[in-house]
Order: sequence, then C-alpha cells, then structure tokens
Amino acid sequence: MKVGIPKGLLYYKYKPFFTTFFEELGAEIIESPDTNKEILDLGVKLCTDEACLPIKVFHGHVEKIKDKCDLILVPRIMQVEKREFICPKFCGIPEMIENNIKDLPLITKAPIYSYSADKFINWAYETGKLFTKSYVKIQKAFEDALKEQNNFKEGIDHEGFQYKIALIGHTYNIYDKFINMNLIKKLNGFGIGVITHEVVDDSIKHMEIKKLFKRPFWTFAREYYGFASYAVKNKLIDGIIYLSSFACGIDSVIVELLKLEFEDVPFLLLKIDEHTGEAGFDTRVEAFVDMLTRRKRGNLA
Amino acid sequence: MKVTFPHMGNVYIGAKFLMDGLGIDYVIPPFNSKRALEIGSLYSPEEICLPFKIMMGNYIESIERGADTIILTGSCGPCRFGEYAELQMKILKKLGKNLDFIVLDLPSDIGFDELKRRINKISSQSPKSKKEKYMALVNAYRIIGLIDALEAKAHERAGYEVNKGECKCLLNECKRKLLDTNNPKEAISILKEYHKKMDEVEISREKNPIRVAIIGEIYTIIEPFSNLYIEDKLMEMGVSTKRTLSPSWWVYNTVLLSPFGLTAKRIRDAAKEYLPLGVGGHGQECVGEAILSYEEGFDGAIQIFPLGCMPEIVSKSILPSIARDKNFPILSLVVDEMTGEAGYQTRLEAFIDLLERRRGYVLSGN
Repeated sequence: MKVGIPKGLLYYKYKPFFTTFFEELGAEIIESPDTNKEILDLGVKLCTDEACLPIKVFHGHVEKIKDKCDLILVPRIMQVEKREFICPKFCGIPEMIENNIKDLPLITKAPIYSYSADKFINWAYETGKLFTKSYVKIQKAFEDALKEQNNFKEGIDHEGFQYKIALIGHTYNIYDKFINMNLIKKLNGFGIGVITHEVVDDSIKHMEIKKLFKRPFWTFAREYYGFASYAVKNKLIDGIIYLSSFACGIDSVIVELLKLEFEDVPFLLLKIDEHTGEAGFDTRVEAFVDMLTRRKRGNLA
Repeated sequence: MKVTFPHMGNVYIGAKFLMDGLGIDYVIPPFNSKRALEIGSLYSPEEICLPFKIMMGNYIESIERGADTIILTGSCGPCRFGEYAELQMKILKKLGKNLDFIVLDLPSDIGFDELKRRINKISSQSPKSKKEKYMALVNAYRIIGLIDALEAKAHERAGYEVNKGECKCLLNECKRKLLDTNNPKEAISILKEYHKKMDEVEISREKNPIRVAIIGEIYTIIEPFSNLYIEDKLMEMGVSTKRTLSPSWWVYNTVLLSPFGLTAKRIRDAAKEYLPLGVGGHGQECVGEAILSYEEGFDGAIQIFPLGCMPEIVSKSILPSIARDKNFPILSLVVDEMTGEAGYQTRLEAFIDLLERRRGYVLSGN
C-alpha cells in the first residue's frame, strides 16, 4: 500500500513517528514535495476562504499527492496533553479535506489523543487495520515509532551570533521555508541567532504559566508563553519575533498576552498569508535588526 | 459592589432580574451601538473575533456608569472564548480600571471549591436569605426561558401575521415594559400576558411563508447588533425564522446537561454523518442544525459567524456538501466590525429571492 504524507501542519514535528509507523507496517511512503507556489495556489483554490494559511497549504499538499497513493495521512490531532487542546481546525481537518477536495483516496480519520500511549494506540489500531490483521504487529510498529519520535531532536538553538532572538510561532510556519520566505537564514545573515521553544524543557513551561489567571487550554499557548517568559526572565534573548499566519485564532490571543506581559522586550510580529510580498517582509526584519543594534549601542553609552 | 455583564441578546433581562432578586446593585451596559463597538475595537487585539470587541465596549461603557465588578461565564476551549477573561482582565488593568472579574467556569476545570468561592463573592453581597436567593435564581431562569420563547414565537409567527409588523411591535413593547419593573414576579406576569397577546395575533395559515433557520456561532446569532438585526430584517420581509440556540438553551445544555454528557444530544447526533467529533464552540451544532432544519422542512438556512471563528470555519467547509447532497440552500454570512449594511442586506435579499423562486420552480415543474 502506498501511503501519502502531506508536508503540512504538524508534519515537521511528528514526521519520525508517522514515517516509522507506516514503514514498519510495510507501506511505501510518498511524501509531497516541499511547499511551493503550485501547492500554495492549489490550496488557496480548494480551501474555504476564511481558513488560515497553514490549513490552505495542507489542502494543497493533499491535492498534489492524492493521485499517487492509496491512503493519505490526515492527522486529526485532538489533544497532545491532558486537558489541553490544539486548535479547533485540527479536530475537523479530515472533514475539511473530504468536503473541499474531490476524488480522494482513503484518508486517516481516527482521532489522535497522544497524551498517553494507551490512548494513542487506539489510533494505531484503527489505522493499522488497513495494513495487517495482527495486533502484535501494529503494536510493535507503534512502539518503534514512538521510540523514534522520542529520539527526535527538535528545536533550534544557535550559538555564536551577535544577537539572539526567540523565534515563536507554529512549527508549520517556522520550518516551512517557503511560507516564511527562509526567515531563519535571513536572520542568520544579519548576525542574529535563533532559539525556539522546543529547547526549553516542558516542566519549566508548566511552571512559568502559573502566573496567569487562567491555565491556558491550548498546548501552543502554554508552550509559547512559558518559553517566552523563561527566556526573558533569564535574559537568554535580545528580542522576540513572532511568526504568525493571518487569521490564526490562537496567535491572536498569545501575541496579545506576550505584548501585555513583556512591554520592554523588542517585539516584532510578522504576519504571513498567501499575499505576503517578500520585499515588505525583508524591510520589517531589517528595521527590527537596526532597532536591536541601536538599543545595544544606547545601553553601552 | 456594582456588577455588570456583557450583552448577548436577552441575557440582560435574565441577569437584571437575578440581581433584582438578590438585591445587588447592577449596571446594564447601554445597548450595543456603534460607539460600543468603536471603543471595543480600539482596545482589543486586532485579530480577535467580534464578540470580544463588542464585550470590551460594553465593559467600558458600564465602567463609565459606575460598575466595578464584571461577571462573565467561561469555558475551557478549544474555542477562543475561554481566553477572553484572561485577556480582557489584562487589557482593562492596563487601561487603569480598577475592577473585579468574576469568571464562572465549569467546575470540571477549576474545581467545585473555586467555583463556590467565586459564586460566594457575588452572593455574599446579597442581603437576602438563602431561600430568597434560591428563588431569585429560579425566577431569573424562568424569565429568561419565557422571553426566549416569546421571541421564538414572534420570529415564527411573523411570517404568518395578517397585520404586518404586529409581532415585532409586541416583542419590543414587552422588552420595554420589562425594563420598567424591578420585581421578578411582575416580570413573569408581564411575560405571560405578552405570551397570550402573541398567541392572539391574527395569523393566516394559508400564507405559507418562506421558512429559514438561523444557525452558526452562538454570540453572533443571539446578539442582534452583531448580525445587523438579521431576524428583524427577516421579520420585515415576512419570513418565518427559527433559531435553536438562545441564552436559555445555553444555560440548559451547558450548565444542566453537561455533567451527564447530554449537551445538545439530538443536534450532535444529527451532525454525526458529516462531523463525528466536536470541534469546539458550536461548530458541530451548526452542522447538526443544518441537517435538522432540512429534515423539518425549512426552505433554507443562514449561517452567521464572526471573521476568523475557528470552529465555524470547519463547519463552513462542510455546509456546501450538505447543501449539495440534500438540495438545501445555505447562506454563510461573515460579520466583523467592518461589515457594511448595504452589501449585507443585498445578500440577504438575494438569498430570500432565491428561496422564493425555487418554490415557484418546484410548483410549476410539477
């Protein structure tokens, strides 16, 4: 069986798990190409207008590989931590794909609750049924895949640059070089190192969010807020760049929380959508870098 | 302590009589207006959804009138509404307003003790006895149920009325009268009187009006200002409308039924075929209601949601399939602070035209 894995949404985070799982079950894996103009255009054409860029891009990836495979991985990730959620759109992504794209092969629709292996394995059984009747085999594939995922080193922590900024944003914005127009490389070119939230341990983030009135119920919100708070407190960074996609509901809340909390920290909000022009984007980054330089000079004098 | 609360349709009526019954001083925020929206948008994050902005406007206008405590219900995701309290608290604090926020979250998330403590903050201000407090709660629940039912009746009968505008007039008259009294008992008798009057409105069953279901995001369909008074507009066009979601529906389903996992069971079951799992907010309900309204013989459905509403974007992707499969027209309207009235009205009229012509076609086709 040929399994299609679209390079969209949380692909960059959970790639080791899914590839190992399907390979162990004897599937041939077909990945969609890196995001490009064609995929973006396809996604924009097919998807509901109001959706955010990553969802549209994901539609494009599915459309691109749908004719080449028998099964497409559309992960309906409901929860990755107990009492926390991802995003409402993730809970309904298989339905969005199904209703927006015609002539689909099979897609995976089982919900993923990955806060415990016991819960998570239900997804594996549900999906693995298509490949083999043997529960033992599925279980083995699942365990190996989990191991692979746990060994996967996530995050960026650059050393040896003049400045260091916290780059906050969803994995699918930060690691997709096409939609963020190679932001990390650009920053490095300006002598700026980047640190992302995965570097900071989860338990620290849990501690940091205690100062909020309400426990954030989005995993993303907890991670980003906790990370930013820790990084600012320990003076790890010179500033924050938040990479957000237009109309992202979760970002609209987190950005405001960060802005209200860290008033003295240089903060740049970069919005990306299907119309973002590279020139304007570059100008904003350059201006931010200039600002960092002047601040430092001012502090020395 | 002078409490206030954000507007959402008829919520102010229920809240007013609850506070009257408890003997707590309160401010009803001025009715939603351009001013409230402008103030609200000024202080809100740019990309947050419309209800947040209108609510901010309500708070600030109430604070101008002396309110110092805000009561708000909460939720714990995955929709943005759950984060409202956190942000609004911080923003108002930054504006230098000295306020107390009382957020009523579900006990499953904050624990019973915390909820009790928060409720105590309100009820300890009341000079009344325990029994009177309990009665105040019961009466308020009855009042909100009665006014919602009256409204639903008016919306339905507007399509059948012989003298145009009668239902609308009665409804508005009743709401005005309710504001003049401070006695919950009296309010109930006013409501009963108007229920009777509404039943006596002269109607003709032969009229066979266009019937439309209003579905979508709960705040924007309940709060008339946010949807540019769509139900009033439809009443004027002689369209009979139905909206399942209302403040009393919310109280019944979220507060009373949720411990048993029965929230909106019928609607959610109907949605199963197209959307088997909840997506937060009322996304699944929206899909379920579209199907139910088709089964109940409505001519069409109108979905309303604020720009960027995450759950409704999912349901908006699904609705065209339902429309195709069932041959059932559905119009999606997106509202935000920039929505222009003329364009909105045109789309609405075109949709109603379409429904009328479809009927004509079906009849002549036979």
